[in-house]
Amino acid sequence: MSKVSYVSGLFLGALATVVIMNQAATASGAPGSESVKDKIEHATEPFDGMKVTTAYPLPVKMVESKEHYQGGSFRVLARKGQITRFRCSVCHNDKPVKVQNGVLFTHSDIQLNHGLGRNMLTCNECHSIEDRDFLVDKEGRKIDFDHSYQLCGKCHFRQKRDWLGGAHGKRETYWAGERVVRNCTSCHNPHSPAFPTKMPATYSLPLDE
Amino acid sequence: MDFSKKKEGRMQTEDMPEKKSSRRDFMKKMSIAAAAGSAGLVVGGCSGTPATEKMGLKWEEYFKKHYRLMTQEEKDATVTRLERLAKLDRGIDVQMSNQGPHEQVLFGYAFNISRCKGYMDCVEACVKENNLDRRGKTQYVRVFEMDPGQLDPTAGDGQYHHEVPVKNKFYMGVQCFHCENAPCIKACPTKATWREPDGIVVIDYDWCIGCRYCLAACPYWGRRFNWGDPEVPKDEINLNQHYLGNRMRMKGVMEKCTFCIQRTRKGKLPACADACPTGSRVFGNLLDPNSEIRFVLANKKVFRFKEDLGTDPKFWYFMD
Repeated sequence: MSKVSYVSGLFLGALATVVIMNQAATASGAPGSESVKDKIEHATEPFDGMKVTTAYPLPVKMVESKEHYQGGSFRVLARKGQITRFRCSVCHNDKPVKVQNGVLFTHSDIQLNHGLGRNMLTCNECHSIEDRDFLVDKEGRKIDFDHSYQLCGKCHFRQKRDWLGGAHGKRETYWAGERVVRNCTSCHNPHSPAFPTKMPATYSLPLDE
Repeated sequence: MDFSKKKEGRMQTEDMPEKKSSRRDFMKKMSIAAAAGSAGLVVGGCSGTPATEKMGLKWEEYFKKHYRLMTQEEKDATVTRLERLAKLDRGIDVQMSNQGPHEQVLFGYAFNISRCKGYMDCVEACVKENNLDRRGKTQYVRVFEMDPGQLDPTAGDGQYHHEVPVKNKFYMGVQCFHCENAPCIKACPTKATWREPDGIVVIDYDWCIGCRYCLAACPYWGRRFNWGDPEVPKDEINLNQHYLGNRMRMKGVMEKCTFCIQRTRKGKLPACADACPTGSRVFGNLLDPNSEIRFVLANKKVFRFKEDLGTDPKFWYFMD
C-alpha cells in the first residue's frame, strides 16, 4: 500500500514540475518566439530609410511627386526626357509644315489601343489641344507629362490608390533610402497600356524531391 | 598588388605568438605544423608560391569557427581568405561582404497573383545575381501556371514554356518564404542554417554537411542541393558577394534564396523584385508602418501558403 502511494506521489510531483516549467516557459516569452504578426503589431515607429547609407541617390532623372503617400512625399521617374520629340510645340505651332516632312510628323508609329471597343480613347482625350506641351483632363486642367499619374488616376483610381501606397507599380532599385517609384508611363505604354504576350525569359526543370 | 600585400600583412600579424592560447590557435598551429612537416612547405609566410599560399588558406578555412560564433575580426579574416582563394582558384576579384543586419528591420515579401504575367524575368535575374549552377539549372524562384480556383502550386504547371500570359490562367511565384518558425532550421543537425535578426534564413555553406534533412523538412520546396560543383561561366560570376549569400557554393552543400542578402542589406531590392516588369513583387521592412509591404498587408486581401502548418512565413500572396 505504502509503496503505491509513494509511486503515485512521485508521479504527481513530476507532473507538477512539468506544468510549472511549462508555465514558466510560456510566461517568459523569449523574443525569438514572437510571431510575425506580433512583431508587426508592436512596430509602430516609422523606420528612417535614410539610415541605410548605402542606398544612395539614383542616377536617373526624377521629380518630386505632387501627391503624398502614407509616409509623406516621394519622387517619381521623370517622363519628359524619355519622349523622343518633346517639346511638342516645336512642331505644333502656327508655322506651316512642309509636305515632304508630313510622314515623319504625323505620329504614324503610334498604335492607339487604349480602352475597350466603343470606348477606345482618341488623342485629344489626354493631349491638350490648346497647349500641346501638356496633357489635359476632363475638367480642362493642364497636366504635366512628368505627373501623368494625375491624369491616369482619373479613370484608374483603384490602381492609383494602390500605386500611392505601394501595392501597384514598383520602387526603383532600393527598398530603403528616399522613396522613388516608377511613373505609370515607366511601365505602361500610354497608347497601348496592356502588357504584351511574349515568351518567358527562361524555363524550369523538375525539382528533385 | 596591394591586395596581396594586405593579405600578407594580415597573415603575419595573425601568426604572432603573443595571443592568448585558445583552441582555435592551437588547432591552427597544429595545422601549420602538420602542413609544414608533411610537405616540407612554408605555410602562412609571405614568400610562398601560390600553391603554398592556397594550401595555407585552405587549412585556416578548415579550422575556422561557426559563423555565428566568430568575432567581427574573424569574420573579416575569413572573408579576406575567401576573396584571396577566389583569386587563386578562379582568377576573379571578388568583393565579399559580411555586413550584418540593420536595427529595426524585418524583411517581408508580397507577391501579386493578379499582376504576374509569368514572364520569368525574376528567375533569370536570380540565377545571374546569385551565381546559380548553370549546368544543373538550379533556380531559387519557381513560377507556376495555375488554373483559376487553385491556390496550391503543386496543382499548377511549373515547367511551362510557351507564350505568356495564357488567357484564363494565373501565375504564382514560389521561393524560400523565410519562415519565422522554420522547420528547416530545426531539422539541421549541425546548426548550419539559422534565422538572422532581420528575418533572413541563411546557411553557412562551410558548416553544412549535406545531409539534406532541411530539404525534406521544408514544406515549400524552398531548398536546393548541390549534387556537383556549381558551374558558372567566369565572365558571368557576380563579384559582389556576401558570406551568407551568393558566394560560390561547393559540391554537397545546400543553398537557397537569401532575399539577396548581398543586395538587401545595402538597401537594394532583391534581384527578383528589381527585375519584375509587372510590379508583382513587393519587398520591404515589416517593422516600418509606412513601408509598401505594410500597405499591402493592411489594405489588400492577403494569404500565406500552407499557413496551417504554423511555419509563419514572411511571404504573402495578394490580389488586386
